Amino acid sequence: MEKGHNIQIYLIILFLASILVISNNLPALAHKVIIFAWVEGDTVFTESKFSGGREATGAQVLVFDRMGKQLLEGKTNNKGEFSFKIPKLTDLRIVLNAGMGHKAEWKIPESEIQEESGVLGSKMATESSQPVAVGLSKAEIKELIEESLDRKLRPIVRMMTESQSKGPSVTEIVGGIGYIFGLMGLVLYFKNRGKKRNLKKQDD
Amino acid sequence: MHISEGVLSAPVLVTGAAFAAAGISIGLKKMGYEKIPQVAVLSSAFFVASLIHVPIGPSSVHLILNGINGLLLGWLCFPSILVALALQAILFQFGGITVLGINTVNMALPGVICYYLFGKLVNREGGLLSLVAAFACGFLSVCFSGILVAISLVFTEQSFMSVAKLIILAHLPVMIIEGIITLFCVAFLKRVKPEVLGGIYGKGA
Repeated sequence: MEKGHNIQIYLIILFLASILVISNNLPALAHKVIIFAWVEGDTVFTESKFSGGREATGAQVLVFDRMGKQLLEGKTNNKGEFSFKIPKLTDLRIVLNAGMGHKAEWKIPESEIQEESGVLGSKMATESSQPVAVGLSKAEIKELIEESLDRKLRPIVRMMTESQSKGPSVTEIVGGIGYIFGLMGLVLYFKNRGKKRNLKKQDD
Repeated sequence: MHISEGVLSAPVLVTGAAFAAAGISIGLKKMGYEKIPQVAVLSSAFFVASLIHVPIGPSSVHLILNGINGLLLGWLCFPSILVALALQAILFQFGGITVLGINTVNMALPGVICYYLFGKLVNREGGLLSLVAAFACGFLSVCFSGILVAISLVFTEQSFMSVAKLIILAHLPVMIIEGIITLFCVAFLKRVKPEVLGGIYGKGA
């Protein structure tokens, strides 16, 4: 008995020592990772985060088209961001591979790309041709509105990214604990019924 | 250390689920009437622990508490951890339903291993040795989990050794904290309610 314990202790010490020896640079890792992407002009911006708010740095980002063909790949920078020019007018599927079993994806439908890049193209055309406009056409008003909306909405888009990467709420936590104790009650109830039945049989 | 959905291939998922089913059936068989509340309490602890982030060290990781689960529950930690992981998947979107089996094995099996390695030692009379064993139990269960995660990722990631090293190094602060938590839990339980620790071994369950 005593010898067995000694061996266990030696093993523990050996293990602790061996772990302390190793050291290396580490990427961030947690239990959930999120990628968020949006289109601005002809560029797609992506932001990758771990739940808990840390950025996924140096993670691989793959971009696929509608048919599942890989269009391009890249790595997130030290803020977890990665941006690329729209390679093709198609639905984009952006996959983040943060390693160690962490993966997330975000889809951008073709319509979103079309709208965004369309705005950009026509804006350039009008700016060069009409320096001073007397009356504004419908299209021009639309452009101006969209342009300023873009600018105004950018912080909201950011906020959405952040709220996506926020942890669970108190209701969810308390709810989960409630579920567990509910389950406990259920199991106890059924076990108890079995017990009573056995007792009755014994009485008979 | 939750593996996300869509990372692992089907054979790995099925193997994980099979192992989990085996562990859970053993656990359920051993679950006596008086053990149920304890399983529920430790399940809730595991459920909540994943929300406690440990900001020390180079990366962001969270507590796991599979060591104390295994130490107090033995095989019963399989059902306990399964329930907690299922709720984490549904409510927090940590992990996922298809990877539930393999995640359960990755978390619960180290608990069972540590129970067999350190259970008797922890339960012994005599202060220091049992406390060291308790620390090692919390510490090693996280470490074993890291190794199991690396094994499950063998078919996805490039090399086992580098992944295992990364995971274990990132969890080093968690390991130490879990070791300390387990140590204090054992010290506390020994003084207040020693039958919780002794119960499993006494009845040979």
